[in-house]
Amino acid sequence: MSVLPLPDTAAPLLSAEGLVTGFGSHAVLHGVDIQVREGEIAGIFGLNGAGKSVTIKALAGLQPLWSGRVSLGGQDISTLSPEDRVGLGIGNIPQGRQVFPELTVEENLRLGAYRLRRRNRGRYRGLLEEVYERFPVLAQRRSQAAGTMSGGEQASLAIGRALMSEPRLLLVDEPSAGLAPKVIESVFQALHALNREGLTILLVEQNVTFGLKLVHTAHLLRMGRVVYSGEVGSLDRDRVVQELGIGRLLSSLQGDKK
Amino acid sequence: MIEAAVIGIVTGAIYGLIALGLVLVYKGTRVINFAQAEIGGAGLYLAYICTSHGLPWIAAAVITIAGAAILGIVFERLIVRPMGDAPRLTVAVATVGLFFALFSLEFYFFGQSPEFVAPPITGRGIEVAGFFIGPMVLLSFVVIAALAAALTAFLRYTDFGLGVLAAAQDATAVRLIGIPLGRLNMFTWGIAGALSAVAALLIEPQIGTVSPGAIGEPLFLGGLAAALLGGLTSLEGAFLGGILVGVAQSEAQHLLLATGFPGISAVVLFVIVLLVLLVRPQGLLGTLRARAEIGGAVT
Amino acid sequence: MSTELAVSSPLDGEVPGGAGRRGRGGLLTPRRSNILLVLAACLLAPTVIGGSVGQATGLAMTQLFHPASALLLSEAAAIAIAALALNLLTGYAGQISLGHAGLLGAGAFAAGLVTGRLGLPFWVGVPAGAAATGVISLGIGLPALRLRGLYLAMVTIAFGYLMYSSVLRLDFFTGGSAGVILPRTLWGKHQLIENADWLSVPLICLLIAWLIDQNVMRSRLGRALRAIRENEAVAQAFGIDVARYKLLAFVISGAMTGAAGALYGSAIGFVNSETFPFTLSLSLVIMIVVGGLGSRSGAAISAILFFLFAYLLEGLPFPWLKGLDGIVGAVLLMYTVARHPGGFASVISELREGRRPKRATSDDEEPPMPALPNLPRPEGLGARPAGDGAGPVLEVQGVTVRFGGLVAVDGASLAVPRGKIVGLIGPNGAGKTTLFNAISGLLRPSAGRVVLNGHDVSALPAHRRAQLGIARTFQQIGLARDQSVLENMLLAQHLLAGYDSGQALLRTPRVARQERELDERARQAIAALGFAGRENVPVNRLSHGQQRILEVGASLLTDPELLMLDEPSAGMSPAAAENLAERLRDLRDVLGRTVLLIEHHVPLVLDVCDYVYVLNFGQILAEGTPDEIMAHPDVIGAYLGESEAVAV
Repeated sequence: MSVLPLPDTAAPLLSAEGLVTGFGSHAVLHGVDIQVREGEIAGIFGLNGAGKSVTIKALAGLQPLWSGRVSLGGQDISTLSPEDRVGLGIGNIPQGRQVFPELTVEENLRLGAYRLRRRNRGRYRGLLEEVYERFPVLAQRRSQAAGTMSGGEQASLAIGRALMSEPRLLLVDEPSAGLAPKVIESVFQALHALNREGLTILLVEQNVTFGLKLVHTAHLLRMGRVVYSGEVGSLDRDRVVQELGIGRLLSSLQGDKK
Repeated sequence: MIEAAVIGIVTGAIYGLIALGLVLVYKGTRVINFAQAEIGGAGLYLAYICTSHGLPWIAAAVITIAGAAILGIVFERLIVRPMGDAPRLTVAVATVGLFFALFSLEFYFFGQSPEFVAPPITGRGIEVAGFFIGPMVLLSFVVIAALAAALTAFLRYTDFGLGVLAAAQDATAVRLIGIPLGRLNMFTWGIAGALSAVAALLIEPQIGTVSPGAIGEPLFLGGLAAALLGGLTSLEGAFLGGILVGVAQSEAQHLLLATGFPGISAVVLFVIVLLVLLVRPQGLLGTLRARAEIGGAVT
Repeated sequence: MSTELAVSSPLDGEVPGGAGRRGRGGLLTPRRSNILLVLAACLLAPTVIGGSVGQATGLAMTQLFHPASALLLSEAAAIAIAALALNLLTGYAGQISLGHAGLLGAGAFAAGLVTGRLGLPFWVGVPAGAAATGVISLGIGLPALRLRGLYLAMVTIAFGYLMYSSVLRLDFFTGGSAGVILPRTLWGKHQLIENADWLSVPLICLLIAWLIDQNVMRSRLGRALRAIRENEAVAQAFGIDVARYKLLAFVISGAMTGAAGALYGSAIGFVNSETFPFTLSLSLVIMIVVGGLGSRSGAAISAILFFLFAYLLEGLPFPWLKGLDGIVGAVLLMYTVARHPGGFASVISELREGRRPKRATSDDEEPPMPALPNLPRPEGLGARPAGDGAGPVLEVQGVTVRFGGLVAVDGASLAVPRGKIVGLIGPNGAGKTTLFNAISGLLRPSAGRVVLNGHDVSALPAHRRAQLGIARTFQQIGLARDQSVLENMLLAQHLLAGYDSGQALLRTPRVARQERELDERARQAIAALGFAGRENVPVNRLSHGQQRILEVGASLLTDPELLMLDEPSAGMSPAAAENLAERLRDLRDVLGRTVLLIEHHVPLVLDVCDYVYVLNFGQILAEGTPDEIMAHPDVIGAYLGESEAVAV
């Protein structure tokens, strides 16, 4: 996958400043700053427990902030509910896809367009066809219960469902989780294609190898803080290893062979 | 024998209506509403107040149904929503509290003495197999069938209804795709309250009077058995389950009356509840997924 | 909470409230309570037994207690016993019952048969009621083995209704009349007519119930029950026979409730089916939930207060107060459940503890994991099938695990030689934990055998395999996280406590002795692991790394044949993971342990293991020494996605 160079005038579409939050009295994020420029695809990487999931949940509105700010296109959305953030143009693909297992593919997609259908039903039909075109497997299985589909198909459905709300920005939580490597490739290709068409994407990913090939900008998270933010080009394997804090034992099968 | 069956179908229809409410709440939130019958029971007092002030029955009925719906919504707002994704049993215990509160309120305001609410339609009704089915009973059938069909259609074919179904499967995902979860839950509990009121209004003429807890206890269990038998996730099953439970109770009573064994209807209910949960947790029409959710030991 | 560890049913029932506090400490330490109880019993008993002391106390009681108030207190005491009983079942063991009034009735009626119709004294009648009810409560205990939470609640409510509407109206009990008379026969024809005379009996029984409850909590029985409430899979891994203990909880709770019913009935003198209405079951639930689930004093005090509150209201000259108690109770229940699940007991304990200290935040600040203690093999450990020393400790032969149509593990075979560390690796979803669960007994394989030290354990449940020497840890920490460090170390020694439940209830000298030994060993282990001084800290306040240390240390307490570690490095910082590697090597080299290890952190596995199996899509893809595995083309392919295997 080749990554296109970023447009020059790229104002931050999403901006997170000084995010502090956690559970009970236990802080997990200690002041996270992330800027995502319009049109780019950015990734947050880090080991287990670094706070990746909490970060994206905070951006989506599921995790209340103790302090800090989240802005979308200049507008402060820090206190908005997840539903309202979707209304402003954020689309979510949760960890594990979380499709509605007992509903059909088409019903899942229809729900994704809940807000849209109230505004403009005609647009819904067109959007649905676009999603089916992008993911032919969904068109084939449109009346099938989502819970009976494979992991990869559910991933496509989750992406399609998020697209049905016509988002400006996609928040993707660990797209590779629980998927076989071949399937991960196709998911990443779908995300890449979406970005090339102009959709801004922020993803959180545990699989550094795959992830770094996909994104323009990488944010490395360690112990609840961002320790590096920058273009992927200037990153090499050793730097990643060092910044993430992996010890001398790392000679990862995933990293070295390829 | 046939007579017993007819009686059974009549009570069964009411069980079915309670079951409908139970299944709706279960489908929407995975909680069993232990106050599903008592909300209506409390509502009847509202009807009593209305009729004793001279309002016609239909007005009293409307006010009662609306009041019960509001009660459901308020309960959801004040108690269920702050509980977030607490364990389902915990929320169910909260509904037990609601049941108890309503029961106590009835007792507090009206004491033990029964009151009377005049039914809207009187008359002998039609005759079936030597037994008279009163007009209220016929009305019950029509109402229940209509409600079950309407609810099923609403849930499956409207966006909002689909959202209600989705919320039970994954409440967080519902929020993440922009659907206001709060409004969905409000609907679920509000309609549940309204259904309870309809059930109470329809059965009251058969009982004849209104007294604390008269509706709540026996109806709830009958409704629960009906919901389980039909399938906790199946709205169509609620009606079917209700009829079956009603007939089973009635026949059992008919057959065993001679033995003098007390409370046969209670025995039937217990056996049904136990058997369904142990042997076929998804009931007759429930999905296998429901079976996985309910049954099974650790190993 | 903690449902991640339970393997099957996703909707694991949970009991409302999170208190389950320690039960020791505070004002009423066990020692102090015991002294108080003995004193009180001495004061009260003479009234019953008679003699001049008895007469004197009796006279005093009559002066102090108006017949009406004596009756009231007698009833309140009986209800308090019922509350204690329900608290044992729901607050300790985590089994909900919404039909306990039915058991009260059963106890009363059964006692009535004995004292009323047979004319026997009450001190035969009450135990008879207790015994009968204990048996009847199996009627809800048995379904409880298959059903949890919400679904158990449904069965119990139906049971309560059954008792009320049907069973308790049987002629067999009522003798054809409207109810049953319970005379308070002391001996022959002599009856305790005065309410004030009778009062001592329920009070003494309350004290006895309190004592029994205390004994339960301070023994392995109580620890087992609370472990079951928190997480059944973890309980099984500690060797607890969950089914047996659940039934035991139902029987004990049922018997106590039956006694309470008998006492209540005897206080009034006459019971019929209306004496114990359906709503009483709900009142009992309100009492224990509002008082604080798992809190003995919370349950008893709350029961007495609620009971007296109702009568108090009636006594006051304000008619508008009558019946208010029900409303107040219901509102309190809803409020407690919604906002403050721990009930009053937790409010009080929070006030006492003051501001909670912050939890340790990161593993970076933690000292490196200390050496795991080399504890001597405890005596009292049951005989195990000894290995012949030569063969492998564990052999897995062609194990297949199916979930419906999905094959999670497909014909996997592996062997763990004595004194070696064997690793099991594979991509996400390969089936590693499923295979682990099949080995430890949480899952039954559809095909294949699991052989421990030459003995086929495939048909044995998890707790039996634990008894035979399999110890395992869990990905998300297999400890009772609401409980303290010390309690967990005591829980881990469940198999070493050499007494049975009957002895536990009575707290025989043997029990006291064994508990002291367990306590000593626990403290030794705690000190060796570096937690000295933190015995009473709840485990969930330790950092993740510390919890892991504790868990591994706890699993060593029973001198296991095989130690199974499920992703021990999960959630650890890289530094801590390196440290873990050293400790794992120590396990083998210094302590001579045999280990089977699942790890996601491949470098750790390569560094530590003697032999490695690679699992992919439920099948053993490759096996060999770490070097062989690293060079294996298929393994590399599996991780990089070049394999031909189709996605699930």
